[in-house]
Amino acid sequence: MADPTAHVHQMPPEVRHPPQVRPNVLSLFLKGSRRRSWTLVAGTVLLVTILLVLLLTPWIAPHDPATQDLASRLAGPSREHWLGTDHLGRDVLSRLMWGGRFSVTIAAITLVFCAAVGIILGAVAARAGGWVDEIVMRTVDVLICFPDVVVALFLIALFGTGPATLIAALTITGWTPFGRLMRGLALDISSKDYVEAAEILGSPKAYIVFRHIIPNAIRPVLAMGFLRFGHKLITVGALSYLGLGVQPPNSDWGAMLMDAQPYMERSANLGVLPGLAIFVTALSVTMIGQGLEGRKRGLKRRLAALPPVPGVGAAAVADTVDSADTLELEDTPGAHAPTPGGDVR
Amino acid sequence: MLSFLIRRAMTLGITLLAVSVLAFLIPYAGTGDPARKILQARVNDPALEPEQVEALTRQLGLDRPVYVQYIEWLRNALSGDFGYSFTSRTPVNDLVLPSLGVSMSLALAALGIALVIALPLGAWAATSKGGKIDNAVTFLSQSAVSAPEYWVGPVLVLIFARKLGWLPSGGWTGMSYIVMPAIALSLRPLGYFAQVTRAAMNDVLAAPFITAARSRGLSFRATLLKHGVRNSMLPVMTLFSFWFAGLLGGSVVIEVIFNIPGMGRMLYTAVTNNDVPVIQGGLMWILILAVLINTVTDLLYGVLNPAIRVTRG
Repeated sequence: MADPTAHVHQMPPEVRHPPQVRPNVLSLFLKGSRRRSWTLVAGTVLLVTILLVLLLTPWIAPHDPATQDLASRLAGPSREHWLGTDHLGRDVLSRLMWGGRFSVTIAAITLVFCAAVGIILGAVAARAGGWVDEIVMRTVDVLICFPDVVVALFLIALFGTGPATLIAALTITGWTPFGRLMRGLALDISSKDYVEAAEILGSPKAYIVFRHIIPNAIRPVLAMGFLRFGHKLITVGALSYLGLGVQPPNSDWGAMLMDAQPYMERSANLGVLPGLAIFVTALSVTMIGQGLEGRKRGLKRRLAALPPVPGVGAAAVADTVDSADTLELEDTPGAHAPTPGGDVR
Repeated sequence: MLSFLIRRAMTLGITLLAVSVLAFLIPYAGTGDPARKILQARVNDPALEPEQVEALTRQLGLDRPVYVQYIEWLRNALSGDFGYSFTSRTPVNDLVLPSLGVSMSLALAALGIALVIALPLGAWAATSKGGKIDNAVTFLSQSAVSAPEYWVGPVLVLIFARKLGWLPSGGWTGMSYIVMPAIALSLRPLGYFAQVTRAAMNDVLAAPFITAARSRGLSFRATLLKHGVRNSMLPVMTLFSFWFAGLLGGSVVIEVIFNIPGMGRMLYTAVTNNDVPVIQGGLMWILILAVLINTVTDLLYGVLNPAIRVTRG
């Protein structure tokens, strides 16, 4: 680092210019579906369908979800009520659609909070290092072993039930995987040439974090986001099932399942359909998440599988064993660090 | 190693201190007089005599400054005394410790089922990478991960207890009572275990030492068992400890559905009844155990794989 600009000038011309167009995650996602894993495609189709239905609910729901018709309680499927009615004679299909809006919205809000907190804290920890890193990572170590339902019970005991408590509880426990992932990625990205270049140019620290580190980590973080979404959806449902989540007169899928319990034998539909809705939604996001993650992993393995420097023999083999062993460890990103900029020649 | 342990102990200490402050503040949170709330939790009657409230305030020392009360509470808590339950008037530890045993056996049963099914599935998928079996296992594990246990549980009850009558629908008095809740709870960890085993196995099988073992003439089966399984166990172990800690208090819904006297249901009833000492005691116990389990796993990690022995926290 004595004269960091020296090797920049010595680089061959084809290395000096960065690619003109930054890769666009969205267009990459849309293009080339043949290369993509089938889980990604199937999951996307499912999720888009579900979101469309939930979005259009106010216009396409066949009935008002709260209108009771005690004369036709617990009715089976009919032309009037496609999926039958519940114990108060309310239309199950409409309730499923409206309930889904609560479930998915709360899960999504929680997820956004978790991702934002995790990304920022993880990136800052990695870039700042020292005691900031220490504090953030020790907090993660501790929080990661708190069961989220228990934390939610704790906060409910403190502040009572409500959407805010719910979201807060799930965020407190939920940001840690994002934090860990982001820190590992940020350490990795920090060793890249363009970050070094930005540092040399004197870019402000915050600018580097938001312009270089976070955008380059977005894909694995996105995969993690999709994977965690299913988990959030299930946890929100669990709390509603216990009567601690969405409060009456509103009800989400979890609350509908709870309402159905006494009537399971008379009308199994009631206790199966809301759970099925949670299951299908969670499955779709899990498939998307794994599809995204799978390709990243594949790429990583391809990089790791590059042949070692020829003619070195046993030592090189030992090296590859080492890097293969440490690949899965998020905390050791240096294990497969790219060659430093000076060695490009 | 020693510095790791000291660091962990300090983290545990700071965490418990922070949690204890929050736990102590439960009756003070929100609006209203703590003594009044405690009395309401005890007698379940909103109409209270002012003299009663007054008497309890003095009896419990609630008129003293909050920090004095906290120090006294903490001193008792440190010696393992969390006071008496408001509703059942029994010592908190007498409630917590048996529940903890119940939750632990349920968690171990569920995770045992998950491991027994997931490990072979994951390894099988990894050996047929990209093939039909791999795809099928991937889809199955994704489905298992997405299945809410409070959906699977009641459906199991409907089929095996109500319709077929093979298993009891709830309670905790014998071996047959553990089967359905354990199966319902095992699904999601099963999915995660299978995925992690598959991914780890994939990485291990691509490693040069597998090729080396094969070229020394070791059969594929022996290679898989000798080198593959051992080296892919580490991520599974981390996940196991994570789920074990989570299920100690986190199987609330299943315990409520199947009427199992475990930690989850105890905490849930305590929260709904505003039974503050039980909430405080239960939380502290769960958190201590969770951090302990986590630490033990980190240490075991180093035992199993000397290459990544813990050097820094």
